[in-house]
Amino acid sequence: MITGDYAVIRTAEPDDTVALQRFYDPARLRSSLLDARRELIVPTYEELREALNQKDLVRGVFHAVEDKEGRVRGFCSLRGVNPEVSFAQLVMLLLDDADFDAPLAREILDFLLQQAFERVKLNKVIAHGFEDESAFRAFLRRNGFQSDGIQREVVFTLGRWRHLESFSLFRSATPYGG
Amino acid sequence: MGIKTKTYIRRAEREDLDVVVGWMETPEFRRFLYGDPARSPKQIREQIVAMLGRSPGNTMPNGIYLIIDSEAYGPIGLLSLQNISCRNRSCSIDLYIGNEKLRNSMVPLLASYLAMEYCFDELNLHRISAFIYSFNAPSWRIIEKIGAVRELTLRDHVFRDGVHHDVYCYGLLRSEFDTFRAQNAKYTEHLMASMITEQRRAAAQPDKATEETP
Repeated sequence: MITGDYAVIRTAEPDDTVALQRFYDPARLRSSLLDARRELIVPTYEELREALNQKDLVRGVFHAVEDKEGRVRGFCSLRGVNPEVSFAQLVMLLLDDADFDAPLAREILDFLLQQAFERVKLNKVIAHGFEDESAFRAFLRRNGFQSDGIQREVVFTLGRWRHLESFSLFRSATPYGG
Repeated sequence: MGIKTKTYIRRAEREDLDVVVGWMETPEFRRFLYGDPARSPKQIREQIVAMLGRSPGNTMPNGIYLIIDSEAYGPIGLLSLQNISCRNRSCSIDLYIGNEKLRNSMVPLLASYLAMEYCFDELNLHRISAFIYSFNAPSWRIIEKIGAVRELTLRDHVFRDGVHHDVYCYGLLRSEFDTFRAQNAKYTEHLMASMITEQRRAAAQPDKATEETP
């Protein structure tokens, strides 16, 4: 468990199922929850709970983020950490977009970047965001991520096509690159 | 006069295993292959066996592997359609030309065009994506020629020969492919028909390689 000034980051547990389920909202698409085919599969409560109960998942890959009052504000992880490649995808799920402007979000990012660049020694971290995820995309830009471009009409939902923007942050652009 | 071709696309069979493994064991081929270049031949073989395995005919698999074949040259290359999404009507595409002698011929361009036609006209897709290493200029020039747009430049995304290289992500929408087809109708309007004719003719005759234009 990592205790910061604003956030407590711990391994996600089966008891976090209700909080996690709130993120699977088809009316508010989150790029971090899409599968390899860019489809949003909405799991049942039992499926989510079982996923959180799996030992390999609980082994520190998926984290819950609490505020100082003990309320779960979101989840975070590095997805796709792989010795074949030198990058991983940043996953930051915050229920309230306003939290991306708060110091809590910066603490989450610092934790993930420390995992990526100091512990795993990755070369870069990538992230994705739909045009609707404006708070998350603005947060990435404020924190040094650069846009790699936009894929057009990759996801169809709620009756229209969505574009997906990709971002990257290199270790050399952070204090870990020195 | 429209272009006719003796090259055609067909479903990959288990009998293609030895040919495809032969391609993937060459260092030149593996340089362009996504994944760990240090994989052993056994690992590559196991991966290909899984790729060429059959899915039930009444379901849409996540990936389809097709062989680019020719009456003149036999199997030429492998076409891979991955992450097929019925909901988003999209897939990502990879094209490998295993026959080294044909890599600088018209075959890669023809095969790419036939692959796009299959995706849009048979699978009814809306969008095709392709991830191509920046050093693979012949491939991304071909896909640009067909009308794809370079949407992403993933910097230092893959490690090959001791150096990080960029990867380009291309996107081709159905409307863009239709525009390309309309602009080049005089060359392409009979391409699919000649491909099907050639495939039937090859299937009806015994194997016999000749030094003809593919």
